[in-house]
Amino acid sequence: MTVIEVGREERGQLTLRQRWSHYLVLVYALTMLIVGVNLRDSLLYATVPYEDVRAGIRAFYPQGWLLDNQGDYVFRVRDMRRTDFKTTIQVQILPVSADSTTRNLLDNLLLTRAQIFGQYRQFPRAIFQLPDETPATSVNYTFVASQDDPFLESFPTVVAGQDVVILQREQAVIITFQASADEYDTLYPVFQTFLADLEF
Amino acid sequence: MIRFTQSFKPFWQTLNFSVWRTTGVLLLMWMIGGGVHAQSDRIDLDRIQRATVFIMQARQNVTAPIMTCVGTGTIVSRDGLILTNAHNTVPNRSCPGELLLIALSVRAYEPPIPLYQAEIVQADEGLDLALIRITRTNDGRLVDPAVLALPFVQLAESDDLRLDSTLTVIGYPNIGDQAITQVRGTIVGFTAEPSGGNRSWIKTSAQIPGTMSGGGAYNQDGDLIGIPTTAPITADSPDATCLTLQDTNGDGQANSRDDCVPTGGVINLLRPVSFARPLIRAASLGLQVEFLSSMRAVETAAGTPSFSGLFFTPAVNEAGMPTSTIRALPSGSTSLYLFFNYANMTPETVYELQTTVDGVDNPTFGLSPVRWSGGQNGTWYVGTSEQPLPNGVYEFNLLIDGVSSGTARLIVGPADTVPSFSDIVFGVEDIQGNIAGNGFVLPVASTISARFIYRNMVDGASWAAIWVRDNAEIPGSRVEEIWTFGEQGTRTIRIQSPSGLLPGSYRLDLYIDNRLAATSQLTLAGAQDGRFARIFDDTHFTTAQSPEEARSSAAITSFSAGTEAIYALFDWQLLAPDTRWTVTWYIDDQVFFEQTLPWAASESGENFLMRLTSRETIPDGTYRLELKLNNLLFGSQTARVGIGQLPIDRFASATGVQMSGTIYDAYTSMGIVGASVFIVSEDFSAADFLRDWNQAQLFASAITDRTGRFEIDRLLQPEVPYSLVIIADGYLPITADGVEFAPTDESFDIPIYLTPG
Repeated sequence: MTVIEVGREERGQLTLRQRWSHYLVLVYALTMLIVGVNLRDSLLYATVPYEDVRAGIRAFYPQGWLLDNQGDYVFRVRDMRRTDFKTTIQVQILPVSADSTTRNLLDNLLLTRAQIFGQYRQFPRAIFQLPDETPATSVNYTFVASQDDPFLESFPTVVAGQDVVILQREQAVIITFQASADEYDTLYPVFQTFLADLEF
Repeated sequence: MIRFTQSFKPFWQTLNFSVWRTTGVLLLMWMIGGGVHAQSDRIDLDRIQRATVFIMQARQNVTAPIMTCVGTGTIVSRDGLILTNAHNTVPNRSCPGELLLIALSVRAYEPPIPLYQAEIVQADEGLDLALIRITRTNDGRLVDPAVLALPFVQLAESDDLRLDSTLTVIGYPNIGDQAITQVRGTIVGFTAEPSGGNRSWIKTSAQIPGTMSGGGAYNQDGDLIGIPTTAPITADSPDATCLTLQDTNGDGQANSRDDCVPTGGVINLLRPVSFARPLIRAASLGLQVEFLSSMRAVETAAGTPSFSGLFFTPAVNEAGMPTSTIRALPSGSTSLYLFFNYANMTPETVYELQTTVDGVDNPTFGLSPVRWSGGQNGTWYVGTSEQPLPNGVYEFNLLIDGVSSGTARLIVGPADTVPSFSDIVFGVEDIQGNIAGNGFVLPVASTISARFIYRNMVDGASWAAIWVRDNAEIPGSRVEEIWTFGEQGTRTIRIQSPSGLLPGSYRLDLYIDNRLAATSQLTLAGAQDGRFARIFDDTHFTTAQSPEEARSSAAITSFSAGTEAIYALFDWQLLAPDTRWTVTWYIDDQVFFEQTLPWAASESGENFLMRLTSRETIPDGTYRLELKLNNLLFGSQTARVGIGQLPIDRFASATGVQMSGTIYDAYTSMGIVGASVFIVSEDFSAADFLRDWNQAQLFASAITDRTGRFEIDRLLQPEVPYSLVIIADGYLPITADGVEFAPTDESFDIPIYLTPG
């Protein structure tokens, strides 16, 4: 009788090399994961520096947003990829007198915007603090935006926005963030990042 | 040549040409390379129709606007400047509304849709032209002119017009319940008036509905050549219909007791677009001229408007004076002018010339009812030139507000060999007896000399010369003699006053056998400066904080950019009240303000003050002020602001290729909402733009609507290599460099497919 022994190999001890290979694979995978996440984040949240020496503004805005500094603002950037309202960040400087208060300024903004934006509604104002602890005032609002071209059929979009107003040295710095109301909360961190890097 | 580049790829993806994307790109390349011709006609009817608006004048009521008048207008600038008539926009007794509502033909073949409100920017009630600007949306929101990108038309040079040229008139034929309409016709004549010379009006064979007044007439190239113009249509006008549209009296019924909107009538007259150019220029640049000094007289009529003293002349000289007076014209004559005196006329007065030839109405040599564009009192003419007058007996009937106010008769036929005087010229006579001076404006002096030509005179005939000042014969000036000076030649006569002739307007009437044979006018003004008159002195510009300060400020000929106001001053001497003088302002040799008005200041004085302002600051350019009497220049000054030249308006051209299209999802074929289309200017490539994302690199851009449709709001120029970038969240972008259009392309509509990425 032939005995055929069917058995299991004894599990032997891992060699040092094998053990280190396992460790390295894990470390490598973890490292690549971290690198990948960082790369993703750096791409998604990549920023572009902007500086206006005359206005004394230095900022970092999201990469791939359309820069416009040809209007009555220091600069404005918009995310043109969005298919709803083009998310907008804008920095504007207005001259104010020594007698002007933040309230005067916000009232003027309200009156001006109410004439331009449809269904403009301003919500209660609040004290705001920039990431560098500069005191400011913020006001949230909403309005209805529509295309200007009368020959196209566009549905209006409800837009939510926030103005952060800082009075300093007889000028008012107004930092505006506007986004589609549906995506406002999701996109707000972009504005927070912008504020964190803003210098004036 | 077109290159397609695939850019902005995430680094871990490889190029992967899907079938749909490839198809879309190839289609794009073929269409751009092949040059799709949506229209082969030179006239871009689609664009002109979009640029033609329906204007509703209304008065504000508690609940809703009450419509008072309607008309048509034409958008002449991208930021919403509209050219139209004044009579249905500027509040007046026929059209009293203060609100202007603008409706656009959003979709062809459908009635216009009210979208905007407008305000009057410039108006000339005499010429019956107005420029209005879109300022608000229907719901009252302010419109930013910089954001408006409306289609507009190109203006043509009216002087290029010829008889029998074809023209197309575009406007709204009714109360706004019909789609935009075009009417074709030809140019059948031109009518002369002092306000604009031999081409003050264009006559057309087109039968233009009355509500198309204020619209546009276009030549074969699609350029605007004229504005259909008629007197205001009222409920009492012939062929007028007054439509009741609203319950204006609040009695719960819309019937004959309510206010109605007059429509109807037929127009065959066009105001040449050259009259509108100064208004358009001033409105575009936001320039305003104010008279700060001793205001011009407001011409309020003291009595009933009337015409008198009708006579004919075959030609008009450069000063607007008749060369001679005639009772008949020889066969083959091609010009004829009817002169007449007018009194108590206002810009709201409607006048008309009806003409019959051998008892048959002949509108070619008449003038349809139009608003008065002259002064309150003076001499006027209506004439025709450039076309032969058929033989016959012509009867002319001048009407004021539909009532006959003067008639005259003329025979065109056998050659006229009657004795005649003609070509009266005034001047200063030298020792040798030569007449010198500019002929029609002389310095105040003690003697006026007049030279005239005589023909076919017979010795023994009686003749007379009568000098008139302010419509009254000057005592002791009449000459009544028997002719002894031969058959033909020139003769000089004089009027003298030892104490000196007073400044003012003079007229010389020459009679042969008690028949008016010739007449002409001159103005005495200013001090003597050799043979000429020095009327205006020290014309200069300055800047100041106030008008009072301006009077003592030093003269400036070069102003810095950003100047907010410029003052113009001049001295004057011996200028009689009511003498008609003309102020003309130019920028870069283009007129933006011209006004002829009666002198209302003292006879002599210093520092007559005018002020030039703008909406913001005075635009850079070279400004010139001219002061004239009887079309003769007597004062001028030039100044420069900033670089001395207007900046080039990138958006000024209405010629080019209209690009539009629809963007679809390559898989579902549904339109993509909110996709962005960028046209990168020729100085940058698509890759440059995708790297920098700077608005300054763009020529134009557009966003798709709910159906995926987009329209580029700026016309692309032919043979210019643009780059194209199309992006949308969730889709792979499309880029293309070297996108060019042929010069013959007019519009371009393309479907584009984006692949989900």
